Amino acid sequence: MSQRSLSLPAARPKEKHHAAGIASRLFLGRESLIVWLVILAGWYLLTFQNDASRNPLLPSPWVVGSALLQSLPELLSSAFASSKILIPGYLLAVALAIPFGLLVGTRIPLQRAFIPFARVAAPVPPTVYIPYAIALLPTFHLSAVFIVFIGAFWPIFHNTALGASSTPQCWKDSAKMMQLGRIEYLLSIVLPASLPQIFSGLGVGLVFAFILLTIAELFGATEGLGRFVQIHADYANYPQMLAGILFTGAIAASCMSGLEALRRRALFWYR
Amino acid sequence: MSQVDIQNLSFSYGDTLILDKLTLSIEAGECLVLLGPSGSGKSTLLRLLAGLEAANSGHIAHKGQPVTGASRDRSVVFQDYSLFPWLNLLENVRLAVNKAHPSLNRRQQKDKARALLDEVGLTDALHQYPFEVSGGMQQRAAIARALALEASLLLLDEPFGALDPVNRIRLQDLLNQVRQQQGKVFSTVFVTHDLDEALWLGDRIAVMGASPGHLISVHSVPKKKERTDRDHYRHLVEVQALRLQIDEALASDVLRRLKVEEVSSNVST
Repeated sequence: MSQRSLSLPAARPKEKHHAAGIASRLFLGRESLIVWLVILAGWYLLTFQNDASRNPLLPSPWVVGSALLQSLPELLSSAFASSKILIPGYLLAVALAIPFGLLVGTRIPLQRAFIPFARVAAPVPPTVYIPYAIALLPTFHLSAVFIVFIGAFWPIFHNTALGASSTPQCWKDSAKMMQLGRIEYLLSIVLPASLPQIFSGLGVGLVFAFILLTIAELFGATEGLGRFVQIHADYANYPQMLAGILFTGAIAASCMSGLEALRRRALFWYR
Repeated sequence: MSQVDIQNLSFSYGDTLILDKLTLSIEAGECLVLLGPSGSGKSTLLRLLAGLEAANSGHIAHKGQPVTGASRDRSVVFQDYSLFPWLNLLENVRLAVNKAHPSLNRRQQKDKARALLDEVGLTDALHQYPFEVSGGMQQRAAIARALALEASLLLLDEPFGALDPVNRIRLQDLLNQVRQQQGKVFSTVFVTHDLDEALWLGDRIAVMGASPGHLISVHSVPKKKERTDRDHYRHLVEVQALRLQIDEALASDVLRRLKVEEVSSNVST
C-alpha cells in the first residue's frame, strides 16, 4: 500500500517530570532563588542590629535556623501527627468527590437536584463547622478529619462536575457511536477528559486542607504542626514558632509539588 | 429494499428550521455524497442518520429498522479529530474492536486493531499518541476506528476538510482503496462541499441547498473502472457534463435564496 511508505514525523520526546526536578524548579530555580535571597537579605537587614531581649518578635534568620534544627525531631513527629488528620480527610474527600462529581456532571437530573444544595453548602467557610464538629464527634481527631474533608471536598467536587459536564462533544459522540456502557463511559472517557479540571480541584482542595488542618489543630489538638506553632506562640518562644511556620510551609509546598508531578504525568496528553 | 430510507425528514434547532422535508434513500454498498454549501444541513443529516440527533418529523430507517439512537452498526468519522488523546492509536482502535468483538481477549483485539491500522498505512505509528502525529494520520486512525466497528453504514462528516491538499488526496484514495478491499460490505455517506471530492468518491451525489436545508437533486456519478487515474477521470466528457449540471443546480439555489431575501427585505421596509 502506497500509504505505508509515508514517512512518519518523529514523535515528540515525552517529557519526564520527576518530583525532584519540579521541586528544584519551584524552590531553587534561578528566578525563585533570587526571590528567596532577597527575602532572606531583607529579613537579615531588619534583624541584624536587633537585640533579641528588646524585641523577641523578630529573631534573626540564624536564630530561627538554629531553632529549626533543634526542633527538627519534634517538628517531624508533629508533621507525622498532622498527616494522620490530613491524609484520611483529604483522601476521603478525593474518594467521594470525584465519583460524585462525575455522576453529577454527566446527569442533568442529578445536576438539578444537587447543584442548588452545593451553591448553599460550598461557600460556607469550613472553619465555622469546627466548634460544632468538636461537640458532635466523639474525638478531636475525628472532628479534625471531618473539617479537612469538608474543606477539600467542595473544590474537588465542583471541578470534577465542571470537567465532566464540559467533556467535548466529539468525544461524547465517539463514545455514543461505540455504545460504551455507563461505567465504561465514565471511567474510560469522562474521567480522563475531566482530569485537567480534577487536578485544579485537587490543588485547591489540598491548599484548603492544609489551612483547615492547622486551624483545627489550634483549637484542641495535643500534637501536630498547628499545635506546635500555637504552643510556642503561647510561651512567646518566637524562634521556634517561626521555625514551625517555615516547616509547615515547606511540607505544604512539597505536597503541592508532588501533586504537580502527578498532574504532569497523568496529563501528558493535555495541550 | 434500500439500506437506508429517509422520508419527509425535518429538523429544527429551536425556531430555526435546519432540514425541510427531506426524502432520500441509500443503497447497500454505495457511496452517497452529500454535497452543498454551508448551512445546507449536511452535517445535521449525517448526525440524524447516526442517531446522534432526533428528528422533529419524518423518519429514518436503517435496514428496515427506525433509527432511534446511536448504534454500532452505524459508525462515524468526524471532521474534528475525535480520537481520545490519552490513548495511543492502537488503543483508540482496540476500544472499538472490543465493542465489535467483546468475546476476543485483549491480545486478539490488539491484533485486529493492528491489522486495521496497517490497512490505513499506520504500521509505524501504533504506539504514538494523537498529539504526536499529523492531522492526516489522526484521520487515518479515525477511519480505522470506524472500520473496527464493522458497521454496515459508514458516515463521514467532512473528514478531510481540515487537511492540506496533498493529504486530502491521499486520504481520498485511501478511502476508495478500503472500500474496494472490503468489497460492498458497507454503505458510505460522505459529507463535503468540494465538488471534485464528491465526483471522485461518490457513486451518487445528493446536492443540497441552504436556508433551510433541502434536497435539490440526486445525480448518479459515471462509473469508475479503477479509482486510480484521477486526472483522466475528471476530464471525461460525462464527468464534465455532470460537474456543469451540479454547478448549475447549486447556482440556481443561490439565486433562489437571493430572491427570497430580496422579497423579505422589501416586505419589511
